[in-house]
Amino acid sequence: MHLEIITPEKKLFEDEVKALTLPGTDGSLGILENHAPLISALKKGVVKVTDKTAAKHQFEIKGGVVEVLHNKVIVLAE
Amino acid sequence: MASLKEVRNRITSVSSTQQITNAMKMVSAAKLRRAQDAILRLRPYAEKLQEILGNLSTSAENAESGVYTAQREPKKVLMVVISSNRGLAGAFNANVMKEARKIVNTRYASQLAEGNVSWMSIGKKSGDIITKSQFNLLSSHNELFDGLSFEKVSLLAQRIMDGFVAKEFDRVEIVYNRFKNAAVQILTTEQFLPVPPPVASSEGTKSQSFDYIFEPDQQTIVEELIPKSLKTQLYKAILDSFAAEHGARMTAMNKATDNARELLKELRLTYNKARQASITNEILEIVGGAEALNG
Repeated sequence: MHLEIITPEKKLFEDEVKALTLPGTDGSLGILENHAPLISALKKGVVKVTDKTAAKHQFEIKGGVVEVLHNKVIVLAE
Repeated sequence: MASLKEVRNRITSVSSTQQITNAMKMVSAAKLRRAQDAILRLRPYAEKLQEILGNLSTSAENAESGVYTAQREPKKVLMVVISSNRGLAGAFNANVMKEARKIVNTRYASQLAEGNVSWMSIGKKSGDIITKSQFNLLSSHNELFDGLSFEKVSLLAQRIMDGFVAKEFDRVEIVYNRFKNAAVQILTTEQFLPVPPPVASSEGTKSQSFDYIFEPDQQTIVEELIPKSLKTQLYKAILDSFAAEHGARMTAMNKATDNARELLKELRLTYNKARQASITNEILEIVGGAEALNG
């Protein structure tokens, strides 16, 4: 699936990924391929991304919102 | 006719001014590019945020009840004026203040009469004008422009929003110069708070609403997103004004450089004429002297 992490100041990340974990307001959210459409608020925490080559990336965010639709994940982070 | 020395002095002074204006033009051009880049980087974020908000409000019509959307009788008005910290940008700062005053005089005349219009300035220049006109300057934020970042702007936006929630003011307007291109700035007034009701209701029906899962729930997300969109709005306004400032300064300095060139041309002509006149005079004197000796 395709992941974009966008902040007001720049685009942090854009690539195909296998899985990611997000700090949802009600607890950690894991998102894999073919996830159902979802909009969720995020709290302060770390976004963990596993990309195609199984390499891991981490991004710290202060909160934000995520939208999942048709294997496209967009994280609006602060 | 001015003496040779005077003209020479003026030529030196004008050409050093020209160097300065030219350098300022270059600096502004570079800063303008950076400011434009920042606007471009913000755009995907702002668009996506609007899209998600749009998706949310089409499926829920309860967004009206939020604390930031409450429409109250505008008894107390806050004007946020975005200008620049430095001058030499043509009519950039004067224009934005003129616009702000016009709006207060036309739209909020009764509030003005009761002294219920307060001002907030972003940028030193508008702050100076507001203080001089003895308006009620609530606070000024000149430091925002040194290392402009979303974080700083969002702190300020938060303060304004808190003030709105605490009913310190019932309406907040932002006045700024929007960047169109380097030569053109569009004076813009936006209602910041309360959040104007979404106008894209007809458009919203066509955007198919997917069956989203909401975490934790729709209301919470809307409440979370509206402050974000407000912060983005203010940030965008400031970035726009920043780009417009440099555009305005670039144009102003370009004109100044051109004028200096024009002036230099004239001065050189005067100088050469004076020089020629003095040479002619000298020759006449020599010839006259020689003639006297011969005679």
